[in-house]
Amino acid sequence: MGKTISDYKSEKKNSSMRWFYNYLKKYRWKVAVGLVLVTITSILAIINPKITGFIVDDIIGDGTDIKMNLLPKFLLLMIGVSVVRSLLRLLFLYLFETASQDMLYDMRDGVYKNLLLKDFAFYNRSRTGDLMSRQTGDMMAIRHFVAFVIYNIYENVLLFVIALFMIFAVDWRIGLAMIAVLPITGFMTYKQSTTIKPKFMHIRDKFSSLNAFVQENISGNRVVRAFAKEDYEIEKFDVENEAYKESELDAAKVWTKYIPIFIFLSHMLTFLLMLVGGIMCIYGQMTLGNMVMINSYLWMLNNPLTMMGWLINDYQRFTTSVDKIYSTITQKPDIQTPRYPKEVSKIKGDIEFRNVSYTVDDEPVLHNVNFHIKPGQTVGIIGATGSGKSTIMNLICRFFDATDGEVLMDGVNVKDLDLHRLRDGIGIAMQDVFLFSDTIEGNIAYADPDCPFEKVKWAAQMADADDFIMQMDDGYDTVVGERGVGLSGGQRQRISLARALLKEPSVIILDDTTSAVDMETEAEIQRDLKKLEGHTVFIIAHRISSIKDADIILVIEDGRITESGTHDELIEKGGYYRKVFDHQYGEFDQIIRKRREGA
Amino acid sequence: MARNKIEQDEELETGFDVEQLKRLTHYVGPYKKDLTIAIIIMVISSAISMLIPIFMKNVMDIVTNTVYKGLYTPAEAVRLIIINSVSTIIVGLLCAIIMRYKIILTSRVGQGVIYSLRRELFVHLQELPFSYYDDKPHGKIQVRVVNYVNNLSDLLSNGIVNTITDMFSLVFIFIFMLYLNVRFTLIVLCGLPILTGIVLFVKNRQRRAWQIQSNKQSNLNAYIAESINGIRVTQSFVRENKNTQFFNQLNGDARTAWLNAVKYNFILSPVIENITILSTSVIYVLGISWLIGGEEAITVGLLTAFAGYVSRFWQPITTLANFYNSLLTAISYLERIFESIDAPVNVKDKEGATEMPEIKGDVEFKNVYFSYDDGVEILHDINFKVKAGESYAIVGPTGAGKSTIVNLISRFYNVDSGAIYVDGIDISDVTIKSLRTQMGVMMQDSFIFSGTIMDNIRYGNKEATDEQVIAAAKTVCAHDFIMTLEKGYYTEVNERGSRLSAGQRQLISFARAVLADPKILILDEATSSIDTETEILLQKGLQEMLKGRTSFIIAHRLSTIKNSSCIMYVDDGQIQEKGSHDELLTIPNGLYNNLYQSQYAFLQ
Repeated sequence: MGKTISDYKSEKKNSSMRWFYNYLKKYRWKVAVGLVLVTITSILAIINPKITGFIVDDIIGDGTDIKMNLLPKFLLLMIGVSVVRSLLRLLFLYLFETASQDMLYDMRDGVYKNLLLKDFAFYNRSRTGDLMSRQTGDMMAIRHFVAFVIYNIYENVLLFVIALFMIFAVDWRIGLAMIAVLPITGFMTYKQSTTIKPKFMHIRDKFSSLNAFVQENISGNRVVRAFAKEDYEIEKFDVENEAYKESELDAAKVWTKYIPIFIFLSHMLTFLLMLVGGIMCIYGQMTLGNMVMINSYLWMLNNPLTMMGWLINDYQRFTTSVDKIYSTITQKPDIQTPRYPKEVSKIKGDIEFRNVSYTVDDEPVLHNVNFHIKPGQTVGIIGATGSGKSTIMNLICRFFDATDGEVLMDGVNVKDLDLHRLRDGIGIAMQDVFLFSDTIEGNIAYADPDCPFEKVKWAAQMADADDFIMQMDDGYDTVVGERGVGLSGGQRQRISLARALLKEPSVIILDDTTSAVDMETEAEIQRDLKKLEGHTVFIIAHRISSIKDADIILVIEDGRITESGTHDELIEKGGYYRKVFDHQYGEFDQIIRKRREGA
Repeated sequence: MARNKIEQDEELETGFDVEQLKRLTHYVGPYKKDLTIAIIIMVISSAISMLIPIFMKNVMDIVTNTVYKGLYTPAEAVRLIIINSVSTIIVGLLCAIIMRYKIILTSRVGQGVIYSLRRELFVHLQELPFSYYDDKPHGKIQVRVVNYVNNLSDLLSNGIVNTITDMFSLVFIFIFMLYLNVRFTLIVLCGLPILTGIVLFVKNRQRRAWQIQSNKQSNLNAYIAESINGIRVTQSFVRENKNTQFFNQLNGDARTAWLNAVKYNFILSPVIENITILSTSVIYVLGISWLIGGEEAITVGLLTAFAGYVSRFWQPITTLANFYNSLLTAISYLERIFESIDAPVNVKDKEGATEMPEIKGDVEFKNVYFSYDDGVEILHDINFKVKAGESYAIVGPTGAGKSTIVNLISRFYNVDSGAIYVDGIDISDVTIKSLRTQMGVMMQDSFIFSGTIMDNIRYGNKEATDEQVIAAAKTVCAHDFIMTLEKGYYTEVNERGSRLSAGQRQLISFARAVLADPKILILDEATSSIDTETEILLQKGLQEMLKGRTSFIIAHRLSTIKNSSCIMYVDDGQIQEKGSHDELLTIPNGLYNNLYQSQYAFLQ
């Protein structure tokens, strides 16, 4: 027999709680000391009313025989207890706050590191806003639990138990009567917990979805403006905003139902004491003094019941968030450093594809690709949009794994290499330039933030970016906005190129990196790149001028290498490459030929 | 304003002021009725719950009277006890029912207020200029809309109701105390100056501490957002460790700021608690000595009763203090929200702006000067005139101002001086919406929304039928590759473009622009990632579509632009050369001529 679905569910719940506990464990002593202090303050909280009672009954009495000599002692005791109690309370509040913040720090760190390890496939299926909610809203729910809910639950349960114990000590029959409400309370607690949990799940989903929507609206603000779709965005936002509000109100319906029940139950206790206690007194089964005493403990039973519903809410909010985070972090990335990576010295840049195929969601992207590039060679890659050019680069960097065949770096399958080692040896300037909100210097020195400025400048010069950077008011200290807004496409591409070159990698990949750069600048960059000796260079481009000097040019069509050779060979061959060439240069080529013929 | 880096705190300009609170009442305003009802029923609830101790006292009196004094027979006593306990449970039931309505009302108010606050913020964000988004990390804007607003819900519903209810009981108890004994009341009031002193002492530090906290939190959130968006770069540059270090620096800052701020919130409660005990003690000491001194007004009953009221007096003050604490916390978020709502909208409809009539496509720049906020002039005295149906190409080195020129046509920015006319109408005289909906702009960055490809293209015109979407895709040669995807047009893509290549993303956003059926089409390096063969097909498809429409094309591949009616060479913010491809090639040593030659230089 296999496990049932509920087995899996409870297993998952247990493991997510274990994950949480592993973080809390480190601070369990803080929590434990905190709880001891809570115990002490709770007991002290019982003492002061006793002292007051004593002052009223025994010192003042009926006013005829006031024991004035005792008064200062008791008043001082009362003040002392109060001061000690509030100091201890401050201490434990702070203990729980520090424990929660320390734990949160570790947890954020853990989740952050975990997200850094996720592969591209994970990021392709997750929305930024969703992932952000894990690190913001969900973390806050956990913080609230550790800093507030834990000790509140403990304090309330403690008071409840102490009070029950005391009441039993005074009169066990009243105690039994009071206990009668426990099963109802337990049942209601269970009902509320189970009904509220899915509602909180729903709230978290709606929150994530609102978050994701807003995030995209902000990122895509230019498109929104360009299409004057503000009203449409607001309409969509209203739907998300409304759905979130409804999810909150929907959950509120649950506690609207249960919290009044708990409040009613707490009054039930008073009712029971009055009725049962009163009648017992009348028939001499109990003294009035005992009834007064029990009455003085009653608040200790009432308060926890009044708080119950809220605490259940807080607790389930917390477990929901833990589940959400846990299910995000446990999605195992397919791309990981093998347990025992092959030891290699520095990456040299010998790259071989052996019968490589790559398929995503049953759609073949690459079929049986074979090539072998020697260190120091320059490779040009050209092909139609979506033909698989970038995929080849992604396989070299091992952002994805080949479905079939092998990708070899220096003769070793990239799957057997240490991931960081491999990527350290490769400098890639991507098609889609992402710059960080930092200075230009910070962006270029991304791979090595501590490198000397000369090196940053050198990399910028190589990428022909130094001139325009120096023209800016703040030069290299200019802060570029997220995604480099404020810079033109060509400028961004050159910064991203400089960033890749700064690594001085053995393998340089330029994935359509000069598409937005003008011709003259591009020619400049090409000349600079030639100065770099001994690097394997991949250039993906659509312009013939970008790749024509490559040692080998690969033409990719529909995921296959259909032509390969030097510029001259491919022109000779008269295939795809020739067609592209003719379109870009045909007219001019004819002019030159005519001139030559004329001469 | 300089651009904001992740680790930089945003500036704090405004001081604590009542204005912000007053503004809040504007959001609470529509719920005045709900709040009033909630307050009234809560006052009733706390009033009737004061009956319970009386019922309890009654029961005890009945017991005394029956057992010790024999005033009632047991049967009578039992009957009276039942009356009192049933009254108690009725009060309990009423309290429970009132609580139910209070929760219903406050949830409605709380959620309603944040709904409208969030909406106002979002609507305003839609109007803010590009520069607002360019100047700060997007994560910092986002947390305002999503997280900060949420923090206000409880304060603006339960907070208000509890506070006002407690104010009522405070006044009620105060009057009662005065009625009982003026001297004792004055003693109790002695605690107030101490409390006020402490509040004043702490206030500014506390507020400052929470401001810092919200800043640190915002920095952390912004970094999380950027880390997620830039993950590809991070992984390929093996920056994981460095980023974690930086993250933990922000993470640690957030922790320190929180712990620093939260301790201020802890101060008030113990102070109040000790003041309560102290004033109770003083009342006992003085009360008893007056009692012994034989003051007539003082009785034992009065003394014990009064001691009981002292804690009742201070209890609502504790609630008020808590409200005050959460208010200070909330204000640090609130001022960020208001700052966004108050951010000036530079590009907006003039008063009395008219609708742009259907555009024919004449575009004219007359003495246009333009600079971004930093004051560096990007465009100097740009003049040109495009007739409807013409296609204009703009070339020139990167950073020359090409994108700026086309951005001005859509009025993404206002010109410093000069004017831009479309069909002879100054574009600043018409509504932005009527202008932009008639233009199709395709930018360098092709942004893809998460959703299906169908939805993404339809963004250009949400009324379009599936057939129209497919037709647009066919025009830009995107249809073929879309059909190779397993789910075709219903393939889910996301903002990072999922598994689409950059060229494919450009084709999709191209289709989006085409579907909008624009009278003026602007292509800003729209085809840079598209291969030449597709581009040839694309141009054929576009030719048909562009008939009778004006177009502006910025491109670096000259094959893309050489058939344009006119080519402008822009450098240093000025038009250096203008003319058709053939005309410009006749200029000896001309800039365009040189560019053209250099492109083919390698062939020679």
